[in-house]
Amino acid sequence: MKITAYHRPETLDKARSLLRDLGPAGIPLAGATSHAFMKGDDEKTAVDLAALGIDTITATPQGFAIGAMARIADLQAFAAPGWVLDRVALRFVSQPMRNMTTLGGNLARVFPWNDFPVALLALDATLDIAGDTVTTHPAATFFKGQPARLFKPGDLLTAIHVPAVGPGCGFGYHKETVVNMDFSLFTAAAWVRRDKRSLAEVRIAVGAGVPLPQRLIALEDALTGKAFSRDTVRAAVIAHAEAVSWKGGDGFSADYIRQLALTHLEDALHAAWNDAAGGAV
Amino acid sequence: MKRNFNVVNKSVRKIDSLSLATGKPMYVGDFKPADALIVKMLWSPHAHARIVSIDTSAAEQLPGVHAILHHGNVPRIVHTTAGQGFPEPSPYDTFMFDHKVRHVGDRVAAVAAETAEQAMAAVKAIKVVYEELPAVLSIEAALTPGAPVIHDEPEAHVPIPVPYEPQRNLAARVAMEVGDFEAGLKEADHALDLEYYTDYAQHCPIEPHVAMAHLAADGRVVITTSTQVPFHVRRIVAQTLDIPVRRIRVIKPRIGGGFGVKQEVLLEDVVALFALRTGRCVFWKYTREEEFVSSRTRHPEKMRVRTGVKKDGTITAMGLDCITNTGAYGSHALTVVCNSGSKILPLYRAANIHFVGESCYTNLPVGGAYRGYGATQSSFAVDCTMDELAELLGVDSLEFRRRNAITSGETSPVFRALGEGKAGVEQSIGSCELDRCITLGARAIGWRKRGRWQDKTGRFRRGIGMAALMQGSSIPEIDMGAASLKINDDGSFNLLMGATDLGTGSDTVLAQIAAETLGCDMDKIIVYSSDTDMTPFDVGAYASSTTYLSGMAVKNVAEKVAKQMLEVASAMLECKAREIRLENNRAVRRDGKSVGFGEIALRALYGTDQHQIGAVSSRISHKSPPPFSAHFAEVEVDTETGRVKVLRYVAAVDCGTAINPKLAEGQTEGGVLNGISYALTEQYLFSPKGKMLNAGFSHYKIFSMRDKPAITTILVPSYEKTGPYGAKSVSEICINGPLPAIANAIYNAVGVRMRTSPFTSEKVWRALQDKAG
Amino acid sequence: MNITLTLNGKRRTADIHPNAKLSDVLRQLGCASVKMGCNEGACGSCAVSVNGRVINSCLAYAAQADGGTVETVESIGSLDHPHPIQAALVEEGAVQCGFCMPGMIMAAKALFDKNPSPTDAELAIHLDGQLCRCTGYEKIQSALRRVAAHGAPVPSPGSSTKGGRS
Repeated sequence: MKITAYHRPETLDKARSLLRDLGPAGIPLAGATSHAFMKGDDEKTAVDLAALGIDTITATPQGFAIGAMARIADLQAFAAPGWVLDRVALRFVSQPMRNMTTLGGNLARVFPWNDFPVALLALDATLDIAGDTVTTHPAATFFKGQPARLFKPGDLLTAIHVPAVGPGCGFGYHKETVVNMDFSLFTAAAWVRRDKRSLAEVRIAVGAGVPLPQRLIALEDALTGKAFSRDTVRAAVIAHAEAVSWKGGDGFSADYIRQLALTHLEDALHAAWNDAAGGAV
Repeated sequence: MKRNFNVVNKSVRKIDSLSLATGKPMYVGDFKPADALIVKMLWSPHAHARIVSIDTSAAEQLPGVHAILHHGNVPRIVHTTAGQGFPEPSPYDTFMFDHKVRHVGDRVAAVAAETAEQAMAAVKAIKVVYEELPAVLSIEAALTPGAPVIHDEPEAHVPIPVPYEPQRNLAARVAMEVGDFEAGLKEADHALDLEYYTDYAQHCPIEPHVAMAHLAADGRVVITTSTQVPFHVRRIVAQTLDIPVRRIRVIKPRIGGGFGVKQEVLLEDVVALFALRTGRCVFWKYTREEEFVSSRTRHPEKMRVRTGVKKDGTITAMGLDCITNTGAYGSHALTVVCNSGSKILPLYRAANIHFVGESCYTNLPVGGAYRGYGATQSSFAVDCTMDELAELLGVDSLEFRRRNAITSGETSPVFRALGEGKAGVEQSIGSCELDRCITLGARAIGWRKRGRWQDKTGRFRRGIGMAALMQGSSIPEIDMGAASLKINDDGSFNLLMGATDLGTGSDTVLAQIAAETLGCDMDKIIVYSSDTDMTPFDVGAYASSTTYLSGMAVKNVAEKVAKQMLEVASAMLECKAREIRLENNRAVRRDGKSVGFGEIALRALYGTDQHQIGAVSSRISHKSPPPFSAHFAEVEVDTETGRVKVLRYVAAVDCGTAINPKLAEGQTEGGVLNGISYALTEQYLFSPKGKMLNAGFSHYKIFSMRDKPAITTILVPSYEKTGPYGAKSVSEICINGPLPAIANAIYNAVGVRMRTSPFTSEKVWRALQDKAG
Repeated sequence: MNITLTLNGKRRTADIHPNAKLSDVLRQLGCASVKMGCNEGACGSCAVSVNGRVINSCLAYAAQADGGTVETVESIGSLDHPHPIQAALVEEGAVQCGFCMPGMIMAAKALFDKNPSPTDAELAIHLDGQLCRCTGYEKIQSALRRVAAHGAPVPSPGSSTKGGRS
């Protein structure tokens, strides 16, 4: 890809109309970090979204509203009760990349190894697409396939709403990489609501090792309402992780990725459970 | 041995460090003129193919294109790219461009154009018809009778009398036997026969290869290049282009890391020929992908260790059979595998020794010099075997190593038997503090508390492992270092050296040696290295030679200059020269009367008996005194995932006198961390057709600060009488420890023996699965 | 297209192609400290500060910096007046080949500007994008620990010790 013209509109309307007019010749520019991997000679006009003012993180009654142009480093630095995306941000590539990459850019085009879709699926986030009107999509819908299918020409992802992880709830996030600054081999995120000794509600998502980040609904169902114990979790994970068709890559076999899935799903669930008890982070 | 030094053995500031930290222009790329032509190479997409035809007509017509080079329009002169002494011990099997390609990433054609984009466009416009040939993609395939012959060109030969059989893909062979190896095995109470394998790895200097050439006003070619071997570059470029050495000048500015990969002539012939053909300044820098695929690598090596030991711990037989994969060209093929034997076999006493080293061609990336140079691979095999022998005997492996390791005053028949392409040089060990390295390292890591793997439980299990190491300091009776030194008006000195500081700090270390000898401050020594027009010859920065050998040349030249200064001072101070000491930048008579170095210089340059105080000196060595080291690693193994985390690492090293302790520690720490990621995470992944799949830092995994364990360096002083102020080498030995120390630590943690590197989490997990049955 | 930057405190303009990367433009503008090690955002040699954030300039388009403030190592200390980070790196022997140093220093300075006394863990997190192949990071860490402690040397598990007889 080659950028042959550059615009930095100052309003969302201007950005949308530019992109609508450009059609396939236009490309929204968020953090630009994935452009190095876009091979080929096709020429594009970049529409930089940096001046739209959609880069803040604010607390809302339900949780947090994150502007799509917020950087991963902003998520890393943000702190508030119920905010957990700093944990995800801390495992994202490297500091200069966290400083460049935007949350929206990371979500608008999904690669198998993407980190944030996994977390947002488990947290049951919603995503706003600004078209002629703003439509709100649950993460489970948004990430069901490539998000591009939800966008008409000129539509833009503008905000991500993440519920706070409230009292009695917990979040666990495990990402396996070879070195710290690395693509994920396997990512697991778990959110739980605890009712005394039981798992009242469970959401589990995985990424890498699967074609696209996804929820493991069958596993969630198997655990919901169950008393929490090491054995219960292990048995459910083994039973349901078997059903997933894991894929290898980067020198690792599918068998091994499956083993990582078993381990990290358990780890993430334990972490979420402890988190819900106000225990380990 | 006690020595009182003024400048040596002090952590003086590295002389170029502040300039580097303030971002001054100092590297090849920083000197590129705005109008330099840019080179891009068309690389072979095939592992093995003949070029049936090559059509550059369309490419030549493209805007900005000035010249294109390919096998049809360059001299066909067989040579080696290995930057070694003459005649090189590596086979002559390379042409600037050939009508055959031998690995994915081999040269096909080069373009010089006004911009990189124009050069790339022209590269894409070159039409090549290939006839694909069956590819040889493993050591086993290479040596199978009837395998495709990779070097079938009639010109391929070795310039020195060593075995070379390209018709069966054998690039090098060396063998030696001491005593009666088979008898030694029979004599043993316990015997082991183990196979080890180490895979490809790349040096990953953060600055990739880069070179630039322009024509001087007198028509000579000036090559500015990031090289460890400027004088070999000059000689090999002259040979390759068939022009006289006198027509070439090679300048080495600061280098952004080398580690051996820049001991190779890879870009300079191309930029030089383009400069000659276009008259323009021509610039070529490898991309990171090219650095992985089309520069040099660590030779993969298959090793078989056969040993026998008596119940009392005496090693009766030590056998090492090594085969390296040299890839498509035989760069350093012979000498790397020689070093697998010569640098490691002397470490442990054995009455009967057997060694066979072979190197085979494949259609894979090319091996080369890499810090450790064959010893890295065989240290793994031999030291893990020592761990297993100790276990068989039921003794502490540390004590077993201590009992069998060579000590001061001893010799080894290996030194004489194995040289580099010829017989070796007999030597007895002078300085050796290995025993103390073991003691201090063991104490620092907590060796005694390591326990047995059988007693460890839980998901995360810790273990401690160790390795004992030796290397050498220069290649005896082959390497040469030289320096020249002259005094300036103000009593400062120009120290000109062919030695090549590639970031190690050798300019600083050598200046310290000069300052110590002259009795002056560090800031009085102005260092310049290296420029083939200006500085005396030096083989370059390799084989752990700079501090030891170039250091001796510097000490010697400084002594000569000091003598000349004393003569002038004796006239000034009206006394005999032997009554004068040089200290604190002054010549001091016994009664304390003194003259400053500036006054001496002024008198010599402008006063009576006018002359330039100055000298040139060169040195070779008749020994290669080994540095010794004991390395200790503590690891934690996740038994669920097989992931190995190094928690702590201790390297105790005897490098003789550390001329600059902080820089010696830095060498150790850098080598250790490189060795750790080599042991755990670095690997080449190939497609079934021999194309590297992970040629970039995103997929070839080296450590950042966030991945590193705490590394403790313990410098254990000794005094090597043959070295400058007691110094030996330090840079290479430190990379050899992590493979065996970590493998042994993994065993101590979970009871599995890792004999194939790298120890990726999947490999360890599979070993654990196999063990569980 | 034309862009205007405040580069190391000076207003600079450049006529660039919209596809030009910031790293290339900065080098053309005379900032030789911007080193190119991988061109894919993985080594950190090209790290510069843009509007207060340290980024890999090999991935950024120069156009994105139009109207912004860019700082490179050329503005951080000099031979006569090195920044405390530079002074500490030099004193600790942390500068080997030096190729990673400009990026390392930019990344470290960005951290110290916000947090003058970072822990080892914070240092590792904020410098995790800066690859160095020479030092094993040990001396870089000890230098930055010194800066964190305002110039006082601090003992640490990874610090070097001298052993043995002398």
